[in-house]
Amino acid sequence: MFAEWLFYVFSVLSVLGAVGLVLFRHPMSGAMSLIVTMISLAGLYALLSAKLIFVLQLIVYAGAIMSLILFIIMFLNIQTSDLPEEKGKLYFLAGGVVLLLPIASFLIKVVKSLPGSEATIVGKGFGGVKEVGLVLFQDWLLPFEIVSILLLVSLIGAVVLAGKRRVGK
Amino acid sequence: MIQHYLILSIILFCLGILGVISRRNVFTVFMSIELMLNAANLAFITFSRLHLSMDGQVLALLVMAVAAAEAALALAVVILLHKHKGNLDTNVFSLLKG
Repeated sequence: MFAEWLFYVFSVLSVLGAVGLVLFRHPMSGAMSLIVTMISLAGLYALLSAKLIFVLQLIVYAGAIMSLILFIIMFLNIQTSDLPEEKGKLYFLAGGVVLLLPIASFLIKVVKSLPGSEATIVGKGFGGVKEVGLVLFQDWLLPFEIVSILLLVSLIGAVVLAGKRRVGK
Repeated sequence: MIQHYLILSIILFCLGILGVISRRNVFTVFMSIELMLNAANLAFITFSRLHLSMDGQVLALLVMAVAAAEAALALAVVILLHKHKGNLDTNVFSLLKG
């Protein structure tokens, strides 16, 4: 019962954060509301007994990625006058809702036909560091290595793109 | 009860698509893409709980790594574009138009 109550609190918070991200004009407010979404999603992962992903969501997403985005927003020093004028925003929003409503309702219908189960929290032996690590390094070793190469490539790419180019000129 | 998690994931994904198609601020578009990745992660973890297998959680882990790589590269590109154009409007960034 308490878990259900927590689920509703977290889901309402995450939807509100996402709506705030879409509607706020300044990207700083949008980033703040996205952080609310990330943290409540971490709570949902904990309710789904994914303990490692819960911690990683807090550290990597709400910590690292969002602080990187906030750092860049503050670095560029965006004033309200710098923001693009979004005159047709409401029309685009209405068009997007009209486009997405049938798709979303279809998907919700599909999801409702799935076999349901109670979302009670599984105790030991599920979702901890040891169990997920075993699966990761036994069955998913090749994708893990490919992702590490991807991280290396993006690191080099970011340095090359954003680094100084004075030498060449 | 477990379907509610999937419905929430669908709602968050649709909100991310709405953010991408209705906003013209580069940062908001980028954060909407992050929101869509998060919604996909929620679906992965819900299915992992439904089938009591941990493959979905490993996939969510890999998605997080891809999102981190994407954030590093995309923010570098945004800094470059802001340096060149002095603007954050996505309509200005049409350099590849033929």
